[in-house]
Amino acid sequence: MRLRFKGKKNDSRRGASIRLKKFDLPEVSVNYTRIKAAGFVIFFCFVTLIARLWYLQILELEHLKLRSETNRFRQVRLVPPRGKILDRNGRVLAGVRPAFNLCLIKGEAEDLESLFAELSQLLDIPQSSLKIRLIEGKKLPKYVPVVLMRDISWEQLSKVEVRLHRLPGIYIEAAPGRKYPEGRLAAHLIGHLGQITEEDLAKGRYPGAVSGDLVGKYGVEAQYEKILRGVYGSRKIEVDAIGGLNRVVEQDSPKPGSDIYLTIDMDIQRAAEEALEGKVGAAVAIDPRSGQLLALVSSPAFEPEAFVKGLSPEQWKALQDPVLKPLFNRALQGRYAPGSTFKIVTALAGLKERVVSAHTKFKCTSSFKLGCRVFRCWDWRGHGKTDLYKALVESCDVYFYNLGLKLGIKKLAYYSRKCGLGVKTGVDLAHESSGLIPTPEWKIRRFHQKWQGGETLTIAIGQGYTLVTPIQMARLIASVANGGTIYRPQFIDQVVDCSGRVSKAFEKEAQGRLPATSYQLALIKKALLGVVQDKKGTGGRCRIKGLQVAGKTGTAQVIKQSKRRMDEKMAWRYRDHAWFVAYAPAQNPQIAVAVLVEHGGHGGSAAAPIARKIILRWLQIENPRPGLSPLRSAGLNPANMDIVRLTEEEAGV
Amino acid sequence: MFEKNFLENFDWWLLLAVLLIMAIGFINLNSASLAAQYPFQWKQLVWYGVGLIVALASLKFDYRSLCLYAWHIYGAILAMLVLVLVIGKTVGGSQRWIPLGFFNLQPSELAKIGMVVVIGSWLASDDKHEYGFLDMLRPIVLTLVPALLIYKQPDLGTAVLIVMLSCSLLFMAGIKWTSLLILIGFGIPLAPFVWNILKPYQKARIFAFLNPENDPQGSGYHLLQSKIAVGSGGLIGKGYLHGTQAHLNFLPEVHTDFAFSIWAEEWGFLGSLVLILLYALIIQRGLHIAYSSRERFGSLLAFGITAMLFLQIAINIFMVLGMLPVVGIPLPLISYGGSSVIVTMIGIGLLLNIRLRRFLFQ
Repeated sequence: MRLRFKGKKNDSRRGASIRLKKFDLPEVSVNYTRIKAAGFVIFFCFVTLIARLWYLQILELEHLKLRSETNRFRQVRLVPPRGKILDRNGRVLAGVRPAFNLCLIKGEAEDLESLFAELSQLLDIPQSSLKIRLIEGKKLPKYVPVVLMRDISWEQLSKVEVRLHRLPGIYIEAAPGRKYPEGRLAAHLIGHLGQITEEDLAKGRYPGAVSGDLVGKYGVEAQYEKILRGVYGSRKIEVDAIGGLNRVVEQDSPKPGSDIYLTIDMDIQRAAEEALEGKVGAAVAIDPRSGQLLALVSSPAFEPEAFVKGLSPEQWKALQDPVLKPLFNRALQGRYAPGSTFKIVTALAGLKERVVSAHTKFKCTSSFKLGCRVFRCWDWRGHGKTDLYKALVESCDVYFYNLGLKLGIKKLAYYSRKCGLGVKTGVDLAHESSGLIPTPEWKIRRFHQKWQGGETLTIAIGQGYTLVTPIQMARLIASVANGGTIYRPQFIDQVVDCSGRVSKAFEKEAQGRLPATSYQLALIKKALLGVVQDKKGTGGRCRIKGLQVAGKTGTAQVIKQSKRRMDEKMAWRYRDHAWFVAYAPAQNPQIAVAVLVEHGGHGGSAAAPIARKIILRWLQIENPRPGLSPLRSAGLNPANMDIVRLTEEEAGV
Repeated sequence: MFEKNFLENFDWWLLLAVLLIMAIGFINLNSASLAAQYPFQWKQLVWYGVGLIVALASLKFDYRSLCLYAWHIYGAILAMLVLVLVIGKTVGGSQRWIPLGFFNLQPSELAKIGMVVVIGSWLASDDKHEYGFLDMLRPIVLTLVPALLIYKQPDLGTAVLIVMLSCSLLFMAGIKWTSLLILIGFGIPLAPFVWNILKPYQKARIFAFLNPENDPQGSGYHLLQSKIAVGSGGLIGKGYLHGTQAHLNFLPEVHTDFAFSIWAEEWGFLGSLVLILLYALIIQRGLHIAYSSRERFGSLLAFGITAMLFLQIAINIFMVLGMLPVVGIPLPLISYGGSSVIVTMIGIGLLLNIRLRRFLFQ
């Protein structure tokens, strides 16, 4: 102000001072041409400015608008927690745990090469392993996220998180991960997850899934994928430049997957798996009253968690072992000759067809002549005069040769099918085998050969072409145990959705009846009890003090009888398969078991002890505190049992 | 003295353009303030008021008296520029402000108008028809001292602007074409030296300008986001207060250097065009005033002020549109900032002043 004040004084008082007068100059002192030149330059600049604006706002509008939109909104997928898989008592077999995925939105990334270079340096992993997912998802739209790395560690998470603003296109997705707290327990039933394939994506089999996601590939995880997965949600958020969440625009909450309660009892399952440890085989335990599966074991098993983490080449090779086949569910897919366990069917057919009665006897001299061929009984001493009871208890082959001959192959095949052999049980799992019940027509079709009479004899004792699966045998013995009703084996107890509502509850499903009257069944059941309880019974290794166990042994020949002389010295792969089917308690059966040990040798020695352990475990569950709570609930008579010794002593066997 | 011709000689177009730009500035700053989460628009309104008062009140005094105080002004500029390096307030790595309690004075802003006055009056007193190379040495030295002080803050943009202002005044005063060529010839070998004294972030900005997509989250980030903001506005814009780029913090410094991008985003091509045409009107009036002034100092001063306004407008908008590296040059009257508004309004006031007195010398 002072400055201007002075100026004013200058101006008003003295008027134009001497120095100011100097300003009055001729026109020429102002360079008008240069102003014009400057005007042209300025005009040109303004035109450029407007042209640039036009270019950006009109010509480049679409492109930049898209950039702005993606800048602005980010569609974040909300992954629902996968439903749990629990045993019948609510113990978790497959659960969820927090996990984080490293995702990429290609459309938001500026330079993929440098992005991958930075990521690989940051996480110290090769670029190639990051790019695999991207190559798989290359056909996907640019703004569909791709899971680059699944289930990153906390360390990796924190490394990426702090650098997120330098990694455009990268974001972290919270995706509940899968955990299997019981390890490989019931692995074949639970199944495993696996990477979604490109084909799955192309066909949209799993709505909402993106490349790199895990989906059920096997077992319950695959079969009930839809129920377990739930529904993906999404969240549209406005983000600011540093990727920070600004405001949730809209949210479509994910619907968590439903929990599946299996009918499997974890304890029985574990007992069965432990009993089969180190062996190759299968075991199925069924509640004969309903068809509920209590245990479903195939050995060896696999580690379901390994599939979540990603298999190493070594792991993958081990899973592909051609002999052990850990991924093969022997209980459902394994096809084996039933051996002497098939004699139950032959006996039923004989009784039903009235070919034999309880009193019909055949003389066993340890060999049976048909034409010029001699068929041997397993016991070289022979069984002498043998009726049905003795024939089943001691598993006399000659008796059943006679019976088979009288029945003929067609009747045998018919009754086999009626008993549920050679047909799928309808258990709700993929890859079930139907097995094989041979008929003369089948042989002509298959081998273009006529059926031989001698073949009927081998079929009658469960050898030869006949192939059954362990679950079929389990269903058969369960049907025998419950008085003849064939129930579909089921393993879903209930499905409970996220709000606690039971959306699906177990219902037993009768598939038919065994072709026998209750009297005829009672005859067989009496004999089956004898198999275990009698001194001469072949199933004595399954005896449990104080519990009436009924069963039938089976030894399925892998090679022809004539060659199988020195059992112990034979190579493992030529040894017989050992079978044992059983149920208990005999009077009021509540558990039916079928055990198969591949190349285990004799059913009585290899398979029966395994069945025993399973039944024993069941007994302990039914009667957890002996002495305090009598086995009334189980329908057992405690007076017959030495309970205390049973649990202490027998359990350790 | 001039009351009888006041209405006739007053440049109403210039005032109208200024008032309209102020209106736009306030409206735009209202939106930008929401994004910046600080009510800059009200403070700016106060500065507009102060600026208008300063501009109109200064009409009372003859602009020619500034010539008498040119050396005082120059001394004051240097003093403030040294002072700011000593006691200046550092914001974002630059020491540019002298805290005065109620307001932070930015000496580099005052230096812009100050240097126009100083160089203008020097050229006016050193009255020559044509300027040779040696004649320019003094004005060049006069310019380089404050420019280097400003560069030290560091504020490369303003330092360059001051040099450019002096150059345009020299051009206007009548530099010989041969001298101009010699100057350019000297300038080119100096370029690598200048490049070497640039700070890393300044180099990065230039690299980012040359290839903004290369490092979109780093140095090129501001340019890229600004381009996205402007471009996504389209013809009519996203609507007032609906500029997502600005309101989601994708744009940096929406209230100052990048204020134009929020305007372009929200009001589109049409809105931007209106603003640019208003600026063009101011520049046109400025040139016209320089042209119609019948006296050397007035003409030089008007031209210098016009150049000051134009260079800031052009540099800022070219930067916002991604055609120049990021430099801290505000957009006159649109960018928030008391110093900038006051300096601009002093300039406008001087233009009006020169216009009013254009016939005094005939």
